[in-house]
Amino acid sequence: SLTAPIGWANSVSTQPRHFVEHVVVRRTGPSAMASFLVARRLLCPASARRLLPCTSPPPSAPAALCWLSTDASPSPPLPVPPLEPTVDPPKKDGASFSAGSGAGGAYRTGQGAASGGRRSGGAGYEEEQQKVLRASLLHVPRMGWSESAMIAGARDVAMSPAIVGAFPRKEAALVEFFMDDCLQQLMDRIDAGEGELLKNLMLTERLSRLVRMRLEMQTPYISKWPQALSIQSQPANVSTSLKQRAVLVDEIWHAAGDAGSDIDWYVKRTVLGGIYSASEVYMLTDNSPEFHDTWTFVNRRIKDALDLQKSYKEV
Amino acid sequence: SGFKQVREDEKSKLVGNVFSSVASSYDVMNDLMSAGLHRLWKDRLVSGAQSITPYGDSLFLPDSSDFFSRLISKLNPFPGMKHLDVAGGTGDVAFRVVERIKSVSHRATQGTLTDMEEDTHIYVCDINPNMLEVGKKRAAEKGYNEEQCLSWVQGDAEALSFEDGSMDGYTIAFGIRNVTHIEKALSEAYRVLKKGGRFLCLELSHVDVPVFKDIYDIYSFSVIPAVGELVAGDRQSYQYLVESIRRFPKQEKFAQMIQEAGFEAVEYENLVGGVVAIHSGVKL
Repeated sequence: SLTAPIGWANSVSTQPRHFVEHVVVRRTGPSAMASFLVARRLLCPASARRLLPCTSPPPSAPAALCWLSTDASPSPPLPVPPLEPTVDPPKKDGASFSAGSGAGGAYRTGQGAASGGRRSGGAGYEEEQQKVLRASLLHVPRMGWSESAMIAGARDVAMSPAIVGAFPRKEAALVEFFMDDCLQQLMDRIDAGEGELLKNLMLTERLSRLVRMRLEMQTPYISKWPQALSIQSQPANVSTSLKQRAVLVDEIWHAAGDAGSDIDWYVKRTVLGGIYSASEVYMLTDNSPEFHDTWTFVNRRIKDALDLQKSYKEV
Repeated sequence: SGFKQVREDEKSKLVGNVFSSVASSYDVMNDLMSAGLHRLWKDRLVSGAQSITPYGDSLFLPDSSDFFSRLISKLNPFPGMKHLDVAGGTGDVAFRVVERIKSVSHRATQGTLTDMEEDTHIYVCDINPNMLEVGKKRAAEKGYNEEQCLSWVQGDAEALSFEDGSMDGYTIAFGIRNVTHIEKALSEAYRVLKKGGRFLCLELSHVDVPVFKDIYDIYSFSVIPAVGELVAGDRQSYQYLVESIRRFPKQEKFAQMIQEAGFEAVEYENLVGGVVAIHSGVKL
């Protein structure tokens, strides 16, 4: 009597992906923060002229060079505005937070009938996640970019370490949070006045200064940075890390003032991205005091790249 | 097919009888209902894909060999955890949690985690003492009698005897469809969890995939009761069980119920096209 199911199983197994499993599609979370940050930037009057870099490359751009316009995992460019709760959640034991509403609470179903979206992952949950991640960073120099660091971080903010299990890619979430946080710090520092100081410098010096500002944020974690790089390069994580780096490079170019430049948009980002990554790796083996050699390296690479452009134009 | 209308008080009695009568062949029954289906093709499909996706949640296939392992890997147990497994008298979930925590501790850790291992405690709660006996026996067979970290507690999912905010994790595997008042079980789960604690539910669920759905229906309503007759000599109990699966809320509705109990970040993952689903939520 069990032959019927076996026969059917054989025919079904030729399409394993469709029948076996569909993983939940995650829409919000720390790794989407980069997009949120860019949206925040738009609120500053000084940058009102800028469009979202993720969605507005020049139309003539070849697709292969564009990191920003293709999205491996579609994510909303702006946070979903808070929804009015249509169903009143029953109040139980004076629960003090709303279960059914909140920003980002839009419930999504994934492909076909087979996967479930995240619901009510609203502002409260995001905040708690970020608190845990921020506390975890303190443990990274000792424990690395690992679950142990996240468990310790959760304990620090009086949360059960069980919440670490809810992070989609655990260690990757921690690294991505750090990248977003550094970008935010960079933007804040530029807005707070360091941007003015840059105006007196040449373009190459401005770029060097900005790259240095960003790389210096990694010095407390430098002993564990190789691990972070390897986490970022894993297949599941690489699309997010590329996106974050693209936003970073774009931000640096913007702060350095790219008005009136004759270099192609894509080339600028590709070149600076390459220099940034090379410098980041160089820094891992730099033992000079205060990473002096790394800054020299950065200056040379940027000068070389821009001089090359000039000579190419001349020819 | 006509579903039997069952009154509430009768339901708990009926469920009690079903489980008493099938307690010893529970594993076989579970295999029939779900894991057996899965095992028919899991080896071929899972083993090939495992090497592609070494880390965490994947877009392809789970890094596990059956539904319980998938549940445990989502749970992500840690040393020092206080975990409650409800309606899991036979210990399927509990043993895997213990194994996982032991293996985490023995991996080279970066420091303080191993100190916490002594605090680990897993509570197995079941309303049916026969199921608990089966679990204790299996624990003895596996050599877990030395384990200080396992406790077997008789109790009702709708009225747990544990304190507020005492558990890091709560799991209920193939048990919640038999609870008379699901909302009560969910709010009890919410009550006993700590801040940051996670709720996970593994349950037979609804298939909406067109052709597969019909095949699954035929299998459920024709084949399973017949096999139940052969294996356990009890067609009626198996008929009831199949019907109870269909009566259970659909994935979306159940997710909504979990959210209404107060959980955040509620989501679900379908396995085998929806034959089994894992719902999860976080208490904040």
